Amino acid sequence: MTHVPVFVIISCLGLAFALPVLCRFRPRPAGWLVRALLMLNTALVARVLLFVNHQGTFYYHLGSWPPPWGIELSIDYLGLFTALVVHGVSLAVVFYAQTDLAGEVDPRMHHWYYTLFLLLLASMTGICFSGDFFNIFVFVEIATIGACGIIALKRHPDCVEASLKYLILSTLGSGLILLSLAILYMVTGHLNLRYIAQHMPTAWAAYPLNVNISLALLVVGFGVKAALFPLHIWLPDAHSSAPAPSSAILSGVLVKIYAVALIRLIHTVYGHKLHQMIPVTQVLLLLATLAIFAGSLFAIGQRDIKRMLAYSTVAQMGYIFLGVALLTENAVVGGVTHIFNHALMKSMLFMAAGAVVYQKGFRRISDFHGLGREMPITMAVFGIGALSMVGIPGFNGFISKVYLAIGALDAGRPVYVAVILISSLLNAAYYLPIVTRAFFNQETGPATFRVDRLPLSMKATLVILGGLCIYFGLVPGSLLRLVQKAVQSLLAT
Amino acid sequence: MDDVVLQTVTLMLLPFIQTYGIYIMVNGHLTPGGGFAGGAVLGISLILYALTFHVDEAAKVYPRRKAEALESLGALVFIFIGLLGVLGGAAFLTNNTSFLSGQAGTLLGGGFILPVTVAVGLKVASTVVTLFFHLLEEEKR
Repeated sequence: MTHVPVFVIISCLGLAFALPVLCRFRPRPAGWLVRALLMLNTALVARVLLFVNHQGTFYYHLGSWPPPWGIELSIDYLGLFTALVVHGVSLAVVFYAQTDLAGEVDPRMHHWYYTLFLLLLASMTGICFSGDFFNIFVFVEIATIGACGIIALKRHPDCVEASLKYLILSTLGSGLILLSLAILYMVTGHLNLRYIAQHMPTAWAAYPLNVNISLALLVVGFGVKAALFPLHIWLPDAHSSAPAPSSAILSGVLVKIYAVALIRLIHTVYGHKLHQMIPVTQVLLLLATLAIFAGSLFAIGQRDIKRMLAYSTVAQMGYIFLGVALLTENAVVGGVTHIFNHALMKSMLFMAAGAVVYQKGFRRISDFHGLGREMPITMAVFGIGALSMVGIPGFNGFISKVYLAIGALDAGRPVYVAVILISSLLNAAYYLPIVTRAFFNQETGPATFRVDRLPLSMKATLVILGGLCIYFGLVPGSLLRLVQKAVQSLLAT
Repeated sequence: MDDVVLQTVTLMLLPFIQTYGIYIMVNGHLTPGGGFAGGAVLGISLILYALTFHVDEAAKVYPRRKAEALESLGALVFIFIGLLGVLGGAAFLTNNTSFLSGQAGTLLGGGFILPVTVAVGLKVASTVVTLFFHLLEEEKR
């Protein structure tokens, strides 16, 4: 059982490298191999979660070298929770991609798409499990390459431009993270997160300036990658021009992985010293608030459905950072729960938008008149996602917003409750018109279409995700218990 | 670029460059360097050949399809060797010195490290060459 986390990572890497050779002879089964592996890995991650629930957190020493020297994987609740989100969303995405990819990517490139996708998946899982700062950095780099690859694979000039922009800014972020890592290594002499944390008090006493600088670099570095508000400029282009399955995985999961890495580093490494340092939580709170408002306001102004969803991601990342920076238990639970909820909703919305593009071939929101009559299932699922984004009770978005609000009250900052309320109204201002336009507008949009009807694999994926949104809105208990355990172990350190 | 001097000097240098690359690669567990550095030197020797003669000549010596296959193979061998550690009852990538169990500090005394560095070296060498070919293709388009 202890070998499972490392198996999940290397099986993805192994298949990623085997596919280019395999597909030279028989390109057809590539997709099915990926889907089979993902189903297996999702089941394995869930099994490890049960194991950890029973036995407690465990550590895995790569190469049997003990921690201060070797690389350590630490399998805890937060990592498993995120890994489960990553795998769940990826599973939905690969089933959806089965048909969608054919419409957007050159058939000869399909196995390369899967290769890059698996590399991205392996690196995201690696970031979840890694207990070593340098190892996290390496996985962050692999994730950057994989992400740029699956954007640029469409070979459209817009995609290449977006990918290049993302590559440049993301490399800047990686550089800052590396610099922060080097400074931490300089003052503590360790790369293992637990050992850095142990030596932090002495390092903090001896070199307060260096520790502060490393914290600042870390926040900005991961901020660029997680699209924290003023650093988000790469995101709308990248997420809107990519093929729909890529958008779903990038916007649904990838940006959050960096947020999780940041949460983990801030809490385990800097821990309770955080308050004595530069006011990083104040800065994060301010930026998160700005992100929530600015992201929503930009989203209102968009005419393209995928760009609107991309700007909405900027706003939703604000909620996650808000929860994390408030530092009370309920707020962090809200932020971490929102990672799951938003991953579910946003990947679903991007896939619904992709389904519209697949069947009708347009992306302009003004063309959506009466679309609900032509594509009832897709638009109904889009409606569920929209209501969930706004935070209507009964949908999963509501749960995380409630916890964020309670957390804000716990922290004695009722102003952030107002922020959440006003921003929910703003969300309604750009999500609901699409739904009303699709269902209640008597006019009909352009009569273009590329295919008669959606393939079953797309519809089934959308319906299952929509069902999960409602399920976790009505019965959030099991999810919340898991998140609470993750947050408690995080705040205890 | 049909320059006799350049071509002759390249042909004279190539064996030395490649020997040096292989030397760095197989001594990965003893001296600074290892799979990545050695592989890069090996790959660069092939690029030098492609630059002084012609890309088509180089493609004959080192076909792209083979380079791509070798790239995958290098990574897969690495993972396979890592899994051998698991089969031995320890963690992933655990070294087992009963394999290549020479005296520690000699070429054949590093257990799995030698095959791992060779796998990494082959992967890096073929990656460097594939990248070079890709860049040339972009130019043509």
